[in-house]
Amino acid sequence: MKIQLKKTKDEFIALSPKDVKYKIKNPFGEEVIINKKKQEIKIIEEDGVTFVIYNNKKFAVEIFEKNQNKYEIIVNGVSYQFSVESPISYERKKYLSKLQQQQKIEAVTAPMPGKILDLMVEENSEIKEGEPLLILEAMKMQNEINSHVSGKIKKIYVKQNDTVAKDDVLVEIEVS
Amino acid sequence: MKIKNLLIANRGEIAIRIANTAKKLGLKVFGIKTSKEPNAYYLEHVDEIIDFSESQEEIPEFLDIEKIISAAKDYKIDAIHPGYGFLSENAYFAQRCEQEKILFIGPSADAIYKMGNKTIAKQIATKHNIPLLQGSLGNVRDYREALQIAEKIGYPVILKAAAGGGGRGMRIVENPSQMEKMFKMASSEAEKAFKDPSLFLEKYVREPRHIEFQVFGDKHGNYVHLGERECSIQRKHQKLIEEAPSSALTEELRQKMGEAAVKIAAAVNYYTAGTVEFLLDADKNFYFMEMNTRIQVEHPVTEMITGYDLIELQILTALGEKLPFNQNDVKLNGWAIEFRINAEDVQGGFSPSLGKIAKVIFPKSKNIRIDSGITNGSIVTPYFDSMIAKLITYGENRENAIQNAINALKRTVISGIKTTIPFHLAVLHNKKFVNGELHTSFITKEMDKLYYNEPEDELVAAYVAVFDYAAELENDKSMIINFQKSREISPWVLNKRIKSL
Repeated sequence: MKIQLKKTKDEFIALSPKDVKYKIKNPFGEEVIINKKKQEIKIIEEDGVTFVIYNNKKFAVEIFEKNQNKYEIIVNGVSYQFSVESPISYERKKYLSKLQQQQKIEAVTAPMPGKILDLMVEENSEIKEGEPLLILEAMKMQNEINSHVSGKIKKIYVKQNDTVAKDDVLVEIEVS
Repeated sequence: MKIKNLLIANRGEIAIRIANTAKKLGLKVFGIKTSKEPNAYYLEHVDEIIDFSESQEEIPEFLDIEKIISAAKDYKIDAIHPGYGFLSENAYFAQRCEQEKILFIGPSADAIYKMGNKTIAKQIATKHNIPLLQGSLGNVRDYREALQIAEKIGYPVILKAAAGGGGRGMRIVENPSQMEKMFKMASSEAEKAFKDPSLFLEKYVREPRHIEFQVFGDKHGNYVHLGERECSIQRKHQKLIEEAPSSALTEELRQKMGEAAVKIAAAVNYYTAGTVEFLLDADKNFYFMEMNTRIQVEHPVTEMITGYDLIELQILTALGEKLPFNQNDVKLNGWAIEFRINAEDVQGGFSPSLGKIAKVIFPKSKNIRIDSGITNGSIVTPYFDSMIAKLITYGENRENAIQNAINALKRTVISGIKTTIPFHLAVLHNKKFVNGELHTSFITKEMDKLYYNEPEDELVAAYVAVFDYAAELENDKSMIINFQKSREISPWVLNKRIKSL
C-alpha cells in the first residue's frame, strides 16, 4: 500500500517499561526497518482477527488498551506494554527520568477487583516488607495483600467491606 | 424415558454440556436466565427459558432453593440437573427435590450429606480400612488445639474447612508461629464460603499427586470405577489441567485404588456419578481425601478414554436403571488432557479479566473437544467463576496428546479479554511436565515463567504499537486497527458494576 506521509517522521521508538527499545522506520512501507534491519512484516485481517505475518509465522495480535502514546498489545495471548516515542520525545523522556528523584512514597494497589475483608494495619504504624496489609476477597478466594516495602503506613484509602476495582490505590507507604 | 423434561440449574459450559446429552435422550431442556447475564450463550442451547432476571432476591439465582423448586413446580419439571458447584452438593436441595417428587440427577441426600461433611467421610473411610492422612479426629476447636495436634503429628500441617471444597478455607501451616493467623484466615474463609467456620487439621504431604477416581453406582447395588484422573496442576488448590489416565499409576495400583474408591461409594449406597479423591505420595502410598458427589469439571477426559457419556449414565442411573456394563467392560484407551480456559490475567497474578469477548476461534479436529460457555460477544462478568471454556485433547499416548494440545492451543484465539492459554502453553513446554513428573506444587516449584511466548512476540507487539500510532498521526482512519469496536463496555461501567457487588 502506498501512503503519502504527511506529519509522521520516518522513525519511531517503541519503548517498554523495562527499557527495551525497538527503533522502527517506515512502518507502512513494503520494507520496514526495525533496529536497523530490513524486515518483512505486515498486518492482515482474517475472520475478524488481526494477525501480523513475520518470519513466515502468523501472530494473533490485539490492541488491548491505548492511551495517547501508551499501548498494551497482546500477541498470542501475552501482553506487552510500549510507549511510542519520536526521536525527540525519546531524548526528552530520558532527560526527565534522570532528573526525577527516587520516589519515597509507594502506593499499594489492588491486583484484582474484590472486597476488603480485613485491614491489618493502621495509619502511622510501621510495616516490614512481606508483612500483611489487608485481606482482599476476589472470586471467592481470600488473598493476603502484603507490603512490598518496609516503612510507615502514610494513608489508608479503604475500609473493611469496601469493594475495590483493579489498580485502585489501597494503602500508601512512606518507604524507610 | 420415564421423564419428559429436565431443568438445568446451572450456567456456562456445563449447562450446554448437559443440554446436549439431555436432547440426545429426547428430553425437553429448561434453563434459567439471570439478570447477571441475560444474554448468556448457554441460553441458546435450551428449549425453554425460565426467567429469573426480574428477581430482586439477594441470594444468587442458582443457589435459591425455594425459588428453583417453585419454578420447577410451575413448569411441571420432571428432573433437575444441578451441574457442578452451586446446589450440586447441597443435601437439603436434593431432599427438597425428593419431597416435591422431582428427580434430582445426583446421589441421595444422605450420601451428599455424609460425603459433604469431611469429618463423617473420614470416619466412613476409617471404618472401611481406606488409608487416611493423620490428623484431627473431627473438627478442631481453636488454634490452641490445632497447635497441640500439629505438635503430635509434626509439621507441616494443613487446615481445611469441614464443609469445604475447591481450595477455599484451606491453609498450609509450616510452623507453630503461623498457626493463629492461618487458623483465623481459613476459618473466616470457610464461614464466608460455606456458612460454617469449622476446620479440621491433617498432616500435609509435600509434593503429592492429586489422583481421583470416577465412580458410578446404580440403585441396584452395582458399582464400577472408570479409572483415574490426575489433577496435579493446580494453583491455590484450583485445578487447571487434568488428564486421564495418570502417568504415576501401574495397572496394579489402579486396581487397588479403584477398589478403594468403589468401597467408599458402596458404604453410602451411592448412585449416579461420583469422584473419590486421593493424594498419592512419592512412595506411591495413597490417602483418601474426599468424595465429590457431583459431575466434575474434568469429566471429559474420562469420557474420551472410556467412550462413555457420563451425563447420560448419570441421568439413567438416577432414573433407577441398571448400569449398562460392569467393571470388566471398562477399558481405558489412549490419553486425554483437559485445559481450563479461564478469563484470567496470568501475567497479572491470575487476576480476573472481565469484559466483552470480541472474538472466539477454536480449532476443529477429531482429537480436540471444546466444551465452551462463550461465543463472539459474550461478556465475562465478575459474578461467576472465571472458567469460560475447556479445551480437551486426545492422543494415542501422552506424548501425542501433549503435541495435539500445543497445536490446538496455539490455534485458539480469544480476544477482548486475557485467558490462561499462555499459561497452558508454558506447562506444555515444561520438561518435567512432558516427563510426567507432576505434583500439586508444580506451578510454584517447577515453573520459572508462568506464560509461554515466542522469541519474536515482543518485536511484533512493538511493530503493532508503532503502526497504530503512526496511522493515528497520519489521521488515516482506515489504517487504524479497529480494536474498540468490540468494547461497548467501558472500564467505567465495569468498575461501577464491581462496586455494586
